[in-house]
Amino acid sequence: MNNMKNRKLEYFNDLLYRLEEMLYHELSMCAHPKSELVGSDFLASGKIEGANLEQLLGNCLTEIKESGLVDDISYSLHASGTCLRLSVGNCIHMQKEARLKSEGIEPYCCPIANMILDRILGALHYLTTYTADIKVDEDKRRCVIKCAVFDSIGKIGQVSDWTRF
Amino acid sequence: MSKDILEVISTRQSIRRYTAEPVSDELILKILEAARWAPSGENEQPWELIVVRNPETRAKIGELSKIGTGQRMHTEYCLGEMEKRFAGIEDPAKKASLMRFLCTGDVSLSPTTAPVLIVVMGKLKGMFDVPYDLSACIENMLLEAHSLGLGAVWVHGPAVYPRVVKKLKEILRIPTGVGEYKLIAYIAIGWPEGQRRHPRPKLPLEEIVHWEEYGRRARN
Repeated sequence: MNNMKNRKLEYFNDLLYRLEEMLYHELSMCAHPKSELVGSDFLASGKIEGANLEQLLGNCLTEIKESGLVDDISYSLHASGTCLRLSVGNCIHMQKEARLKSEGIEPYCCPIANMILDRILGALHYLTTYTADIKVDEDKRRCVIKCAVFDSIGKIGQVSDWTRF
Repeated sequence: MSKDILEVISTRQSIRRYTAEPVSDELILKILEAARWAPSGENEQPWELIVVRNPETRAKIGELSKIGTGQRMHTEYCLGEMEKRFAGIEDPAKKASLMRFLCTGDVSLSPTTAPVLIVVMGKLKGMFDVPYDLSACIENMLLEAHSLGLGAVWVHGPAVYPRVVKKLKEILRIPTGVGEYKLIAYIAIGWPEGQRRHPRPKLPLEEIVHWEEYGRRARN
């Protein structure tokens, strides 16, 4: 039974890999912003809500874990309030990320981050969000994703140092 | 027939500052005419163009452009990438000013101060080469604008975010279905204000040309 499940997962990630490979080939790194909606339907269709950012993120992370998309996931917020750091362990998409890396393509599309950012926009009406950086460690099966979250236009341009965050 | 237009091509620059002087319909029509003559795969001509002169519409497009570009440049700065990109600029005041211009997204806001924007979109149904056809169409318009003494810039930034594109389409009343039209960019056109101080350097032929096969740099 587990074998069958793994085969299905392998098939599904291979499809994603081929699509992302093609998109990257067509668009180079512009594929990254172009794919901001990939994954966004999952939490949106579940109508995950929250009264504030912390509450919403807590609800999103619980739903993601309980649905089995990842084994573990946690977040932290930069003091500036404009950077959300996600740490994701054993994600179902790890196979496609590792394959992209092995083909020399930096992973650029994290459906898990996309679905969370979509809820920040949908539930809290932030102005805009952007996946800034995706680091994939396929050996440890862990990703760290840094996302920009802006609740107002005035925050864009109020820069800070995220390099050690 | 032999008419070399290299002079027009090589003196064109991206112009982002304009005077308030309007651009006549006659000149706009010449630029649109240049668009019409662009090459397209199988002569499909997928392009459709929206000429925007209304200041309120331009301001709305400007705000979306600022958000789109600003969020990306902001993160580039915060992740230390922008510092590497501009490591060659020694004057700290100049570097700070340039970075502020980028990080706030004002780099994409300023083109919308042009008196004319031409939004470029392509029909997708039944078409094969839409992005490439539209790019050729844009280049034709940029060259024609320059040859007329106008300044212009190709602004792609806001068109890379699906959410921003949807809002742009709503503002311009373009059908929002992803399968209908591809909105690829807009061109800002106006009379240049002053001279651009820093022409962008172009890579020499030696760096971009291979003769007969990849890696062979020598011509003979």
